Amino acid sequence: MDAQLQILSEFSSSHHWMWLWPEIVLAALALALLAVELLLPKSDRWLLRISLGAQVAVFAALIAGLVGGTLPTSDVALFAGAIQPTLSGHLMRIFFVGCSILVCFLGYLYLERRPLARAEYYHLVMIVTAAMMLLAQITHFVAFFVALETVTIGFYILVAYGRNSSYSLEAGLKYMIMGGFSSGLLLFGIVLLYGAAGSPTLIGPAGDPFQFGQLGAVIAENPGNPLIVIGALLVIVGICFKIGSFPFQYWIPDVYQGAPTPTTAFLAVSSKSMGFYLLYVLLTGPFLGLQSILVPVIGIMTYCTIAFGNIAALGQNNVKRVIGMSGVAHAGILLVGILAAMRGVDWAFQAIFFYLITYALASFAVFGVMCHVAPDEDANQEREHYFGLMQNHPFLGGVLAVGLGSLAGIPPLAGFVAKAAIIVAAFQAKLYLLVAFVLVGVVVSIFYYFGWLRAAVTNPHPEIQGEPHPVVAPSVGSRALLAVLALASVVLGLYQGGLLS
Amino acid sequence: MVTDWLFYFFAALTVIAGFLVALSRSPVNAAMNMILSFIGIAGLFVLLETFFLAVLQILVYAGAIVVLFLFIIMLIDPERLPKPHKLSTIGSALVAAGLTAGWFAVLQAPTVALPTKVAAESFTGGRAPAATARVFGEVLFSQYLLPFEVAGFLLLIAMLGVIVISKHYRPATTRKEGGSV
Repeated sequence: MDAQLQILSEFSSSHHWMWLWPEIVLAALALALLAVELLLPKSDRWLLRISLGAQVAVFAALIAGLVGGTLPTSDVALFAGAIQPTLSGHLMRIFFVGCSILVCFLGYLYLERRPLARAEYYHLVMIVTAAMMLLAQITHFVAFFVALETVTIGFYILVAYGRNSSYSLEAGLKYMIMGGFSSGLLLFGIVLLYGAAGSPTLIGPAGDPFQFGQLGAVIAENPGNPLIVIGALLVIVGICFKIGSFPFQYWIPDVYQGAPTPTTAFLAVSSKSMGFYLLYVLLTGPFLGLQSILVPVIGIMTYCTIAFGNIAALGQNNVKRVIGMSGVAHAGILLVGILAAMRGVDWAFQAIFFYLITYALASFAVFGVMCHVAPDEDANQEREHYFGLMQNHPFLGGVLAVGLGSLAGIPPLAGFVAKAAIIVAAFQAKLYLLVAFVLVGVVVSIFYYFGWLRAAVTNPHPEIQGEPHPVVAPSVGSRALLAVLALASVVLGLYQGGLLS
Repeated sequence: MVTDWLFYFFAALTVIAGFLVALSRSPVNAAMNMILSFIGIAGLFVLLETFFLAVLQILVYAGAIVVLFLFIIMLIDPERLPKPHKLSTIGSALVAAGLTAGWFAVLQAPTVALPTKVAAESFTGGRAPAATARVFGEVLFSQYLLPFEVAGFLLLIAMLGVIVISKHYRPATTRKEGGSV
């Protein structure tokens, strides 16, 4: 056996497939779903039960593993340098499974009323989630790109899933063109980094420049190399398309409006959180040596994102576009957390993670209500549809109020604590001007969130309004789920447990 | 140096054909230019002594994929695209020229060039990872096994997506009797 085969067999023995059991279980059950639909006709109810049951089981097992301390973490990267299990990675995995459960449930509410394929929706959501969970641990650009593309391609399909609606197809096309463009930029950046960091003309060239650790060592030695700087910037631009920060937010309103509501929720919560975690991993890992260039770039982007998101959300009347634009503003606040992490605030990740949790809880509560209020044409969800919601459906109205209040950051709801945590982190990082800017943004955001809430509370005269907009009465299952989401938003505002420490 | 001139030839072929893909008014011409561009890339692979990739480039991309493109183009029979506005042509040309100039400026800039050690051997024993089918296979199924598996799922959901989006659904299966989950 020659020396090279020796190296390769060492690579093979570093593949600890058992450590990836949650991803493998999700992927296998996603395949099983297709088989179930093929072999058992009229299995609609079972499809949802299988997908929800599997994900709840994985979710519970991961939480049990985290609490019991049995989830493995490693100081070295496994899978030939591709995977490194860390505590923050495990937290994000749990987060993604949790979101996926909620998306599947919203998907059920959406598909129930429409003549579309069912099994494939759950299948795609589960595969995309498994890829996201993998991404949360990846430390190698080849695996990174393949997993990210799996997520992106899954989203192209999920966005265009409402094939009977021209809005959905238009959104799918727009998202595919924008996504293809951003993937191209990301890949170009990766290739530049590979070429620069592997070049023997640099100090200490890397043997495997795709590997984050080795790449980081090269970047720390050669922070001024123009190819490395351009490569890193292109990678960041590619990820910023995913989180929708200014100036890469222009796809958001149309895609959020046209996509089926559960897909919009998936995009708004999981896809955005994934982008932020990747940004966090890259900026505090391999790109740490480029701080002097990247901190100002991301700083300017943060100001623009907060300003643009809040101003653009003011003029929207379609509630999906409001959510999209306010999501841009939330991305700006999360970028503040990323900046704090870059400037060495060691608990910035906890602040970001807590923010993501509260954002997910509040967003899914709001999206859950939207699924019930949505008209047959899913894209036309106007603010007027919410007139009289509080009086006619007090439960949905109450959940909407809690969700919007938490998104706006009204004490004592969870969103307030999350915003406060980010602001404290930014204060510790001495980003005083940015703190002031965030506060102004939060005040502006109250205006459009409460504009929506006002529509739900007001009850215009029947002669002006005509018939009230038909609302699907929530079933027992969705009542329970929405109640849990709203309750969690309240409880996390009063008691954070160990999440912020 | 013959290889240098060959490099310039194939590089020019790749870039010029690539431009023509974007500039062609007729989709068939664009696809044909794409074949030329792929052949240029295959030539570059040969110059890098990665013959296996060169063959794959011709077989898979220039052969199978572009032929598929042509099938689809001829199936939907699109019209020739209208000429773009003069201003946008000039604007795009200026942006492209600016980016190219900036790119060359970056490449010319004095970079940190202090050769300390040559790391070529640390690349899988001095051989390019995709030089032959054998090396390619060995690396693919050891070092890159995880991305390879994920790519399988990527292709699966892409195929599934085509079916889901292109299939017609009869509204007869719309409403199930209500009830909770």
